Amino acid sequence: MKKNRFAFAIPALVLLSLFAVFPAAQLVRMSLSEVSLQTLNGNWVFVGLENFRNGISDGSIPWGLRLTLIYTLIVTVLGVVGGFIAAYLLRGKGRYASIVLAIMVFIWALPPVVNGSVWKFLLAEDGLLNLISRSTIGQTIPFLFSHDFALYSVAVVNAWVIIPFNALVFRAAILGIDDQIFEAAILDGASKIQEIRFIVIPSVKPASLVLTILTIVNAFRSYDFIYVMTQGGPGTATQTLPYASYSQAFVQYNFGAGSATAVVAVLLVVVLAIIYARNVFKEERS
Amino acid sequence: MTRTHKFGITVLGQTFFLITYAVPFIWIVLTSLKKSTDVFDSSKSVVFTPTLEAYQRVADIHLLQALGQSALIASLSTALVLLVAVPAAYALARSSAWWSVAMLAVLIVFQMIPQTSTVIPLFKVLGNLNLLDSLAGVVIADASLMTPFAIILLRPFFRSVPEAVEEASSLDGAGSFRSFWSVVLPIARNGIATTGTVVFIIVWGEFLYSVNFFMTPGKYPLSAMLAQQVSSYGVNWSGLMALAVVTAIPIAILYAVSYRLLKEGLTVGAVK
Repeated sequence: MKKNRFAFAIPALVLLSLFAVFPAAQLVRMSLSEVSLQTLNGNWVFVGLENFRNGISDGSIPWGLRLTLIYTLIVTVLGVVGGFIAAYLLRGKGRYASIVLAIMVFIWALPPVVNGSVWKFLLAEDGLLNLISRSTIGQTIPFLFSHDFALYSVAVVNAWVIIPFNALVFRAAILGIDDQIFEAAILDGASKIQEIRFIVIPSVKPASLVLTILTIVNAFRSYDFIYVMTQGGPGTATQTLPYASYSQAFVQYNFGAGSATAVVAVLLVVVLAIIYARNVFKEERS
Repeated sequence: MTRTHKFGITVLGQTFFLITYAVPFIWIVLTSLKKSTDVFDSSKSVVFTPTLEAYQRVADIHLLQALGQSALIASLSTALVLLVAVPAAYALARSSAWWSVAMLAVLIVFQMIPQTSTVIPLFKVLGNLNLLDSLAGVVIADASLMTPFAIILLRPFFRSVPEAVEEASSLDGAGSFRSFWSVVLPIARNGIATTGTVVFIIVWGEFLYSVNFFMTPGKYPLSAMLAQQVSSYGVNWSGLMALAVVTAIPIAILYAVSYRLLKEGLTVGAVK
C-alpha cells in the first residue's frame, strides 16, 4: 500500500517556484535583453544573442571559461588527493588523529569569508608566508598581486578548505573496509603501498566518484574566495565565469552581460548535475 | 594494524596536517591581539604585549548590531528551510513516481547553480516585491538558496526509516500527517539536527545576498561586514582579524556542540 505523499512537497515547491525557478527564467530573459541599472525595473529591449556574442568577442566568456577550468582542475586534484591522504593518515581511533581531524573539520566549517580574509592576510606582502619566504629564499612572492600567481594562490586556498570535508567522507569509506582483509594482507606479507593500492583505493572508489563530482561542482561555482582575496584581479587574472558574471552585473551594472555569462556557467553546471543525478539514481536502484 | 616501523611516517603526516590547519588560525588570533603598529613588526611576531585594542575598535562599528543581525538571519532562514525541506524530503523519500524523480533532478541542478547567477535575477525579483533592504528579503533569498541542499541532505535519512513503522501507525488509525509527525520525525531527528546545523553554519557565512540586497551597510550581518572591509583598500589587519575571530566564535561554539553529529551525519548525506 503506497500512499501519495505529494502534498508534503507543496510548501517547498511554492518557495522554490517563486524564488528559484522564476528568477532563473528571469535570468535567461535578461541574458537575451539589454538591461542596465536604469532599465532594470523598466522594459527590457530584446536583443537576441547579442550579449553572448559580445561576451565572446570581448573575450570575457572564453577567458572566464579558461580560468574556471584551471581553477576547477587545481581544486579538484588537490582536494581529492589531499582528502584521501589526510583520511588515510587520520583513519586511526587514536587521540592525536582525532584531534587533528577535529581541527581540520572546524576550519572547513568556518565561513569562507573568514578563511578568505585569513589567507589574504597570510599571503600579503608582509604576511606570514612572505615572512618565511624572505628568511629562507630571500625573496618576496607576490602571491595575490601577480598575474601569474593570483589564480593559483586562490585555488590552493580553496582546496585547503575543501580537503577536511573530503577527508571525512574518505575516512568513513576506509573505516567501512573489513579488518579481516587487512589482516589477511599482512599475513600475505603485503607492503603498505600494496595495501593502499590493492585494498584501500578499490574500496573507496564508489565514494570517490561522487566526491570528485561534488568537488568539481564546488570549485566550479566558487566565487567567495575570489571575492574576498582578489576581487577578480589583478587585472582580469581571476575573473572566472561565476565571478565575472557578478562583477559585470553589480560592478559595471551591465545586467544583460552579467546574465549571459551567468547562463553559460549554469549550462555547464547542468551537465555536471546530470552526471551526478545519474550516479545517485543508479546507486539507489542497486 | 600495528606495524610499529610505519608509525613514524603516520605521525609525521598527521603533524603536517596539524601544522597546515592550526598555525594559520593561531596566527590570526595572535594578530587580532596586537596593536596595529605591531602587526608587521617581525621582532614582535610571536612575543608581544597582547591588547584588546583591535576588538575595541571593531566594537565601535555597530558590532553588536551586526552580530544580532547575523543571528536573526541565520536562525530565521534555518527555521524556514527546515519547515519546507523536512516534509519535502519525506515526500521524495517515500515516492518513486515521475514527479519525485523530476523534482530531485531539478533540486540537484538548483543546488549546483553558482550563487552569483542567482543573485542577479533575485535582485530584480526582490525589488519588484519591495523586499530589498529588508530582513525578510535576505531571509527568503537565503532560505531558497539552501532548500535544495537541505532536501537532498535529508532524503537519505527518511529513506532509512522503515515503511513498516508507518504502516503500523496507520493501522492504529493515525492519518498520514499524524504518523509523519509522531512516528517518522522522531526517528529522523539526527538527520534533521545535522541538516539544521549545516544550514545555519552556511547561512551565517553567506555574504553575497546580504551585501547586495541590503542597501544600508548598517543592516549588514557580520559576514557581509567582513567581506566589505577585507575588499576595501588600506586594510587595518589587526581590526580585520579581530572581526574575523568574532565572526568565527559562534561557529566554533556550535561546532564544539555538534561535532559528533556532523561527523556521522555529513558522511551519510554526502555519499548516499
